[in-house]
Amino acid sequence: MSFLQIVKLTIPVMMGYIPLGMAFGLLLSKLLIPWYYAFFMSVFIFAGSGQFLALTLFASQATILEIGIATFLLNLRHTFYGLSMISAFKDFSWKKHYLIFGLTDETFALLKTTEIAEANRERVYVWITFLNQCYWVIGSVVGAMLGNILPFNYQGIEFSLTALFVVLSIELYKKNRLHKPFFVALIIGLFGMVLFPPQKMLILSLCLAAFVLIVFKRSMENGK
Amino acid sequence: MESSYIIGSIIVAMLATYATRIIPFLLFRNREPSALIKYIELNMPVMIMVILVFYALKDVKWESYPYGMAEIIGVGVAIFLHVRFQNALLSIFVATLAYMVLVQNVF
Repeated sequence: MSFLQIVKLTIPVMMGYIPLGMAFGLLLSKLLIPWYYAFFMSVFIFAGSGQFLALTLFASQATILEIGIATFLLNLRHTFYGLSMISAFKDFSWKKHYLIFGLTDETFALLKTTEIAEANRERVYVWITFLNQCYWVIGSVVGAMLGNILPFNYQGIEFSLTALFVVLSIELYKKNRLHKPFFVALIIGLFGMVLFPPQKMLILSLCLAAFVLIVFKRSMENGK
Repeated sequence: MESSYIIGSIIVAMLATYATRIIPFLLFRNREPSALIKYIELNMPVMIMVILVFYALKDVKWESYPYGMAEIIGVGVAIFLHVRFQNALLSIFVATLAYMVLVQNVF
């Protein structure tokens, strides 16, 4: 697979990562955080919703421990991606650590859906992951810099995060064999939004969801 | 915001994110994951996503004007477009644009 073909493959991700990265950068500059932190966050964390969440928690002055727990719980879904990549990465060199680090939702989707000859696989996987991260880094740095320069009214741009979550909820609902967890989460989310203190809402709701999911496993799996 | 707070948070967020991605490789290097773990990993993501929608809406003032109408319309646009066209980018951008127009010009 030529380099150009690999780039072509990642275009849909580029179209998502650059504007979303820019939204992240803009939001970061709105919190009056210097632009180079956008660069560091995108290089070292490289998690779309995780970085947005970090900003939200910065704004509400969450403790570093809370940021760690919330990020861990939010990104726990990546554990599932890793699970289905164990055999795929098995015989790779040290580069597989970068692949594991860069296993975002979109990268996972590309790696899972691309047909690659075995001899080429490691090289192509690394390029896909690296290109995706480049788009994300470029988007977030440009957004953070323009946020301070352009006299553009971006009030409300943070709604892209809400919309992203709505879209991913629908995607996961369609993909999931069981449909009850979706409806249970709707109730828990609504309940949590109304009744839990805003700063603890996410952690409490996620713990409650995990609890219900495990304790009521049998009834979740009954029917559909 | 202090830079030590931001740098500390970045390091913690980095470790937390990497942990979620490396865990399965460490745990299940030589054995198959249990049925319960598989069940949680299959069903937890959709619950997380739905709860995140409500988390993103947690600061909306529902009891006073405009009663969260911009949020309700924005979410409605995202749902409608995504069910109709199944194009994530389109749904996210149009919904965000609609929301921005509403909060800047209408409410």
